[in-house]
Amino acid sequence: MIEAEAPRAKAGRAPDVFRPGGWIPMQGYSDEEEVDFAIVGTGAGGGTLACKLAEAGFSVVAFEAGPFWRPLEDFASDERAQGGLYWTDDRITGGADPIELGSNNCGRGVGGTTVHYTMIALRWRPEWFEARSKLGYARDWPISFDELEPYYEEAEEALKVSGPVDYPWSRRRRRYPYRAHEVNASGLVLARGCERIGIKWSPLPLATLSAPRGMAHPCIYRGFCAYGCSTNAKQSVLVTFIPRAIKAGAEIRDHAMVGRIEMKDGRATGLLYHREGRWRRQKARHVVVAGYAIETPRLLLNSACPDFPDGLANDEGFVGTHLMCHSGPGVWGYLDEEIRSYKAPPCMAVTEHWNYDDTAKDFHGGYAFMSQGPLAAGWAQDVATNRGLWGMALRNEMTRYNHSAGLRIVGEVEPRRENRVEVVPDEKDQFGLPIPRVTFSYSDNDRRLMRHSIGSMRSVLDAAGARELWDDDDTSHLMGGCAMGTSPKDSVTNADGRTWAIPNLWICDGSLFPTSGGVNPSLTIQALACRIGDRIAAMAARGEL
Amino acid sequence: MSDDFRTPYADYDVLAKWDTPSWNDRTREVVRRRLEEVPQRRFLTEEEWRLLEAVTARLIPQPDRQAPVPIVPWIDEMLFENRGPGFRYADMPPLRDAWRQGLKGIAGEARERHGTDFEDLPPDRQDEILADVQHDRTDRRWWGDLPAGGFFLHLLLHETVAIYYSHPAAWSEIGYGGPASPRGYVRLGFDARDPWEAEERHD
Amino acid sequence: MRPPEPSRRPLLAVGALVFAGAAGAWLLLRRAAPRDEPKPAAAARALGAGAAVLAFSVATDSALEHYRGSFENKAMFIAPAVSTITIAAAALTLLRPGTGRTAKGLVFAAATATGAAGVGFHVYDIAKREGGFDLNNLFYHAPLGAPAAIGLAGIFGLLSQRFARGETGLLGNDGARLIAPFAAAALLGTVAEAGLLHFRGSFQNPAMYAPVTLPPAAAAALAASAAAPRLIPAARFLLEGTAMLGIAGPVFHAYGIHRNMGGWRNWSQMILQGPPLPAPPAFLGIAIVGLAMLPLLEEDA
Repeated sequence: MIEAEAPRAKAGRAPDVFRPGGWIPMQGYSDEEEVDFAIVGTGAGGGTLACKLAEAGFSVVAFEAGPFWRPLEDFASDERAQGGLYWTDDRITGGADPIELGSNNCGRGVGGTTVHYTMIALRWRPEWFEARSKLGYARDWPISFDELEPYYEEAEEALKVSGPVDYPWSRRRRRYPYRAHEVNASGLVLARGCERIGIKWSPLPLATLSAPRGMAHPCIYRGFCAYGCSTNAKQSVLVTFIPRAIKAGAEIRDHAMVGRIEMKDGRATGLLYHREGRWRRQKARHVVVAGYAIETPRLLLNSACPDFPDGLANDEGFVGTHLMCHSGPGVWGYLDEEIRSYKAPPCMAVTEHWNYDDTAKDFHGGYAFMSQGPLAAGWAQDVATNRGLWGMALRNEMTRYNHSAGLRIVGEVEPRRENRVEVVPDEKDQFGLPIPRVTFSYSDNDRRLMRHSIGSMRSVLDAAGARELWDDDDTSHLMGGCAMGTSPKDSVTNADGRTWAIPNLWICDGSLFPTSGGVNPSLTIQALACRIGDRIAAMAARGEL
Repeated sequence: MSDDFRTPYADYDVLAKWDTPSWNDRTREVVRRRLEEVPQRRFLTEEEWRLLEAVTARLIPQPDRQAPVPIVPWIDEMLFENRGPGFRYADMPPLRDAWRQGLKGIAGEARERHGTDFEDLPPDRQDEILADVQHDRTDRRWWGDLPAGGFFLHLLLHETVAIYYSHPAAWSEIGYGGPASPRGYVRLGFDARDPWEAEERHD
Repeated sequence: MRPPEPSRRPLLAVGALVFAGAAGAWLLLRRAAPRDEPKPAAAARALGAGAAVLAFSVATDSALEHYRGSFENKAMFIAPAVSTITIAAAALTLLRPGTGRTAKGLVFAAATATGAAGVGFHVYDIAKREGGFDLNNLFYHAPLGAPAAIGLAGIFGLLSQRFARGETGLLGNDGARLIAPFAAAALLGTVAEAGLLHFRGSFQNPAMYAPVTLPPAAAAALAASAAAPRLIPAARFLLEGTAMLGIAGPVFHAYGIHRNMGGWRNWSQMILQGPPLPAPPAFLGIAIVGLAMLPLLEEDA
């Protein structure tokens, strides 16, 4: 991968993601010009919202700590060389079950984590928005599935999600914009196992093209999705909402690390950010923080000032708390057939059976599991560290790679106050900003869920004919930390992502999630961002901003 | 531990695809660098380097190769650049300190038990020590606050394995497709293989 | 609003070449046929031509698709082999209607049987898969209707031989009155296959609607012409359009390949994964047969 260490998006132009070496014109704003919205982060939340707000006619500048790539020319087909897609700044991870940060749950670069996500585009189970009142656990969201449904549709259309004509779960929906992809062998292992034990399975709805779209090519099944898509088939924010945002007049500033939100008289006045070797200030009428579940609380906490000594919007001490990941134990085995899981998107088949069927569960919540497609180095690390294998035993074991197949859950994790993000005042990053410290432990319920899921996955793999089964342990995604809610007493923002404490400070990313659900969060983040964009436009029209 | 290596992909060489549509310029550039520009020692001391060479030779033994896939130079580069994975465990010191301490620990265990340097021990003695490190059967004197098992799994083994299996020679021996852009794959089902993929042969 | 797409200039160049080739072939064939040929003999030639085009489409398509399937089952060699021989037999029928009748008859019978068996094989192949007859398997695995095309080539070949012998009756009826609706049904089968695969491609290009709109209208007009001769001019117009579609289709598909990753430089993947080049001429083959029936229907009227 190319090391794009200097900003590319400047002087009235931005990289054209569809043409090697190409540029597109981009509106520029000066630091002194007070823009309507300054957005911190360009991922699923920030990039999507930047597009919505720019298209609604607001002046928008979005800040991104990482580079602005052109995938066609910048991305190599190589796990190791693509490590630059990850957020690898210093962070401390602790608690009884410390979360591995950096790679699969954090992104750095325009488009954020969607540049290396596995494109799974699932809606939430409708009842999860009322988990407390309908299902009896965790907490309710301040919005309902019905309110979000049109925005799920909007996000799916914007990403041209390729999905099955009949998805067997969630509510009846309009047809996905594009058809589902052919399911690869590792997905067929899940299918075969599920059919044999009598539960439903489905090809996964994926935000990767199954047919051409404009300048974007359909998927070529090269399998490097988690390391950046070099064909633009992946409908990341980088190749969807960002070009739209720029066309509508938004400015994207790459290599711009925001260090603090500036405050005056109880209102945000702009951002202090680092770009091209120096600290600069951007004035703004509104500030949106969209840095995901670690950087968003971190920025609020690092922006503490005399009026807000504990950090912004943190009067009740909620900022950074109730952090969630998805638990992700996996089960692996060997089949007689060649699987070659390096081909095609890593996850192509799913069962959401245990998200929707609550009978015979000894836990609250749900989980989905997907087929898996590890590449060579990632697989080797998994085999070595989870099974403690090394030496010639490891090298010989690795020659069975092409016959291995596995399943991994996206498992719901309870929101708990003690799981949190804090900042460490005496340890600084390269910008001199206090680094974050993440503390995480599973609850008993979380553990029961994981145990249950391992049993389910084992029975599916066993039925599919896999042998020598073994389990591993992983997590995915981050959510919560600045939960939305119905009252300042139990949340950081209202249903629109507007902080209770500071009327022109907004949050728009996965940190808003009050609960974690049992599916990948990106589509819900993007639906929320679409909704927040529409809500802001509506409020502005009524003079309520 | 047996040092016999067998692979059903003995005649597969992923580099044969170098000039085909499976490789693009960007990929050729990064893999060429990996093959031709192996970095020099910049962070580790000579003693640490020698010890780490001996350790990684047990973690990934390569008796079948005249020129083993280099591992230590890349660990040294990572430490020189102080490029971590994006987190560190609360019970671990910062990256460089952890590696230094870990190497000190292994060296200390060897001298304590056998009165000699780790690299001068026979392979099975070396393996014994490494297995003990892996399972935390170590003497705190050599390790300080560093959890030996955590160092072994999360830093030492994790990084060694990632480096080895990022090398085309390792891709070939496990029948991995390797780089695949602009040409990806067509045949995705059970036992389905494109002509540009490794063929499995059991003699 | 449609987003910008890669340049269409290559499409124009390839299109011009293909149409020039088709026009040349058509002129050559017209020369080969005597000017005052009786209508049954002309129909015999046309049936042969239709069979040849269909067999060509199946031979190339099945060769590609079965190669994609790695000829996993030895029976997968049968379709390309039989259809290749059928091309020869049909071409001979077209150019020399009188020669080698028995041998040609055997080839056409074999093609017909291959079509029937092929459909059976494909149904079995889908049925045994995970998901069974779900849409994803119909999209991506053995196409149920495709083997019928080689059967169709066989039937057209056999009919061609009857017409060449001057036997224009069929099952106690006037042949054209039966063949016209039969060809119409065959056209609808091809429409169904194109429709399924273009649905798989989400009709991402508006041109993908062409084969699911024009040929059904042509099929309806052709079938109706057997009973209502006043529809014959409409049927002719629509069938000529369908024939053009059969020639233009590969050009559009070539552009589709160009729009995939790596375009034609990545041909070794994209002739298999992109839109199938040899499939659309099936429309041409059936349209030729339909067009050949129209003068006979006119005569009856």
